[in-house]
Amino acid sequence: MKVVTRVSEALQIPRKKPITGARAIAEAVKLADVDVIAAYPIRPYTGIMNALAEMIANGEFMAEIIVADSEHSQFEIAKHASAVGARTFVGSSGVGLAYATEAIIVTAMDQLPVVAIAGCRALDDPGNFGMEWNDVLLFRDSGWLISWAKDPQEALDMTLVAYRVAEDRRVMLPHFIAVDGATITHIAAPVDVPSKKDVTEFLPLYRPPYPLDPAYGPVTKAQHIAPSLIGPEQRKHVDVAMKRAREVIVEAWKDYANYVGREYSPFIEAFHMDDAEVALVTMGAYTINALHAVEKARKDGVKAGLIRLRYFRPFPFWELRKVLSSVEGVGVLDFSYSFGSPDSGGVLFNEVRAAMYENPKPALDFLFLGGREPKPDDFVRALKILYEYVRTGKTPGNKRVFWLTLRGEDV
Amino acid sequence: MLKEGSSGLSYLEDLVWVVIHGRGVWHTGPASLIARTLAMAGMLAGRESYYYMRYDDSPERVNIPMMFYVVMGSPKVGVLLPEEVEPVGKLFSAVIVMDSVLLLKETSQRATLLDGVKNGAVIVVNTGLAPSQVAALLRKYQLSRSWSGKLVTVSASRYHNNIAFGLMGALLKAWNIVSLDHVLNALEVLNIDEGARRVVASAYRDALVTEVRLDVEEVRREREKIEIPEFRAGPWDIETYRKYQKALSRARSYEDRIRIMPRWEAIAPGLIEFGPRPGEKNLGFKTEFARIEAPIVDKAKCVDCKLCSYYCPDGAIDFKSIEVDYEYCKGCGICARVCPAKAIRMVSELERVEGLEDPELRKLSLAVREYGY
Repeated sequence: MKVVTRVSEALQIPRKKPITGARAIAEAVKLADVDVIAAYPIRPYTGIMNALAEMIANGEFMAEIIVADSEHSQFEIAKHASAVGARTFVGSSGVGLAYATEAIIVTAMDQLPVVAIAGCRALDDPGNFGMEWNDVLLFRDSGWLISWAKDPQEALDMTLVAYRVAEDRRVMLPHFIAVDGATITHIAAPVDVPSKKDVTEFLPLYRPPYPLDPAYGPVTKAQHIAPSLIGPEQRKHVDVAMKRAREVIVEAWKDYANYVGREYSPFIEAFHMDDAEVALVTMGAYTINALHAVEKARKDGVKAGLIRLRYFRPFPFWELRKVLSSVEGVGVLDFSYSFGSPDSGGVLFNEVRAAMYENPKPALDFLFLGGREPKPDDFVRALKILYEYVRTGKTPGNKRVFWLTLRGEDV
Repeated sequence: MLKEGSSGLSYLEDLVWVVIHGRGVWHTGPASLIARTLAMAGMLAGRESYYYMRYDDSPERVNIPMMFYVVMGSPKVGVLLPEEVEPVGKLFSAVIVMDSVLLLKETSQRATLLDGVKNGAVIVVNTGLAPSQVAALLRKYQLSRSWSGKLVTVSASRYHNNIAFGLMGALLKAWNIVSLDHVLNALEVLNIDEGARRVVASAYRDALVTEVRLDVEEVRREREKIEIPEFRAGPWDIETYRKYQKALSRARSYEDRIRIMPRWEAIAPGLIEFGPRPGEKNLGFKTEFARIEAPIVDKAKCVDCKLCSYYCPDGAIDFKSIEVDYEYCKGCGICARVCPAKAIRMVSELERVEGLEDPELRKLSLAVREYGY
């Protein structure tokens, strides 16, 4: 047997290491030098808080980690710490987020730049640990920025960029990073952790405009609102911040590429869209699987394309319109649902259709609900139904919405 | 024209797959360490690698069979989940089995150990049993088609309390996708201490590699054919629900279970589960797959106090006869603890079923005793 070789003697160490999405996010929080972390265990946030607690215990960085008694307190802690002037990190998923709703909504209305992980998990009585988007989409209308990561690497990058965008004086809004539960957080993939120096240049110390600190003079935050005095005015502040966020997001990702060297198209990622006749639209971790289905379809002679939304709020409607302008049909791969919505479709489906209102395209919705994992074949089937619809104008059962993973009759 | 079927998704076969079979909580740590190290070693060998774990469709619990997958190959791999593994078939180039009870029946609700394993693959078993005994168990319980490959046995806890290191060393003896150097370097990159590197190297030196050929003609395992209950469209009725439940209780594999799962129309609105009627079994909720130790009742010592029957969380001990129903016993050992006459003793499942003693299992059961079920 050969004598043990030193790594330094090994030819080359790759910059990337296989780490889980949860660990990758924790690395980003460490690099962002967060001051206050509010924790309450729920899968998949547990993995992140465990990793952070370990880092703090090992002396890798300093932060106040506060374990709360519930998700409600957890988000309250983050909100209040942010009001005081700390850079904060928090996260939850599923029913945990639902329980924290009150704090989550006030965080946005108070324009506190909290960054939170939302680990998409089916909203259900105890037990369902499958992946569904409805927990994050509960906060669609709440004034939080919402971005959707594709893999552990992007989850790390998005966390860093989220602080930059959220804390920008033009924005000052809280930011959710949606990571598909299990499929990102519990999968270890090669991740390149950027250097502390690059990150510090990209993301300088947080300077809160009005810290709640006597040293800076007295301030009152989250004052009582009498609708006759202040009402729409406060909403408008959030609205304007959300509108401004578009340009800030573009700037931030451009800057991120300059410092860290990884380039992303800020709002949507398009695959094979140059000559696409039909397009699938989706978000999150299953993008890569969908891409394999699209590439298979291309081999079979179908000009298919794929679009991934990286942000859900602000919704990239302008970019989407542009990229979809030349296709003949759109299929949404949807892990969300809204009971009784127009055409009884998913949340993403109806958002995409609303974005295309000016220049409508035939659109179908393919639903993957209740946390059951789609197989690669399901995406191939979706493309097949969509392609038939575009060619003949007909779908099985003349439906627009398909529950592809359902057992039983899809009525 | 667009064809359905995952066969066109050739990227699945192009990858190198390793599967690690273990049990919830006891093996999560070592299995994740193996997966992490192999993935890092794969990166050092120039292959993009990733890994993930699955608990089938059960939540994480003590003793529940769980799997880690390590995937090496294309940087364009997506999220691949076990359901996708099955149709592809010949997939795994290495299998690591963390205890020998896992050799006994379907290791999980999903598949047998040899399902999806390539010919010529390496199977590493953490056991004190002889390779011939392990091969016999594989043939008896795990074989659904002929298979030949390399079998490596190692008694991993002899080297280190963390069985990960011994298993990795044993794997490398017979598997050449990554080299011993890659793994030792990976351990260093991951900051795992020097002692671990030595352990891996000695297990590598000692591991026993046997060429095995298991022919399906010798022992043909007939799978029971289960018919899917007929469904009558119409308002929901409890009889259809019960038919599905009965069929489900006969399913022996994950494949069958998924096939028989009721369509939505047959499930009660509001997800009501109708529990067993008095004297009936709780069909569809068997817990035997979590058992590593089984209770044996010594009728000569039994004072018929019924405590074991009262305390059994799964109702697996008959009140009248004090017979254990091994389909529903999860092996928690509460009966043995509450028995005032010490008439119940816990023995390893391997000993109960096959009469084999494995020193590696003794170490596992000591851990169960110390830290609880």
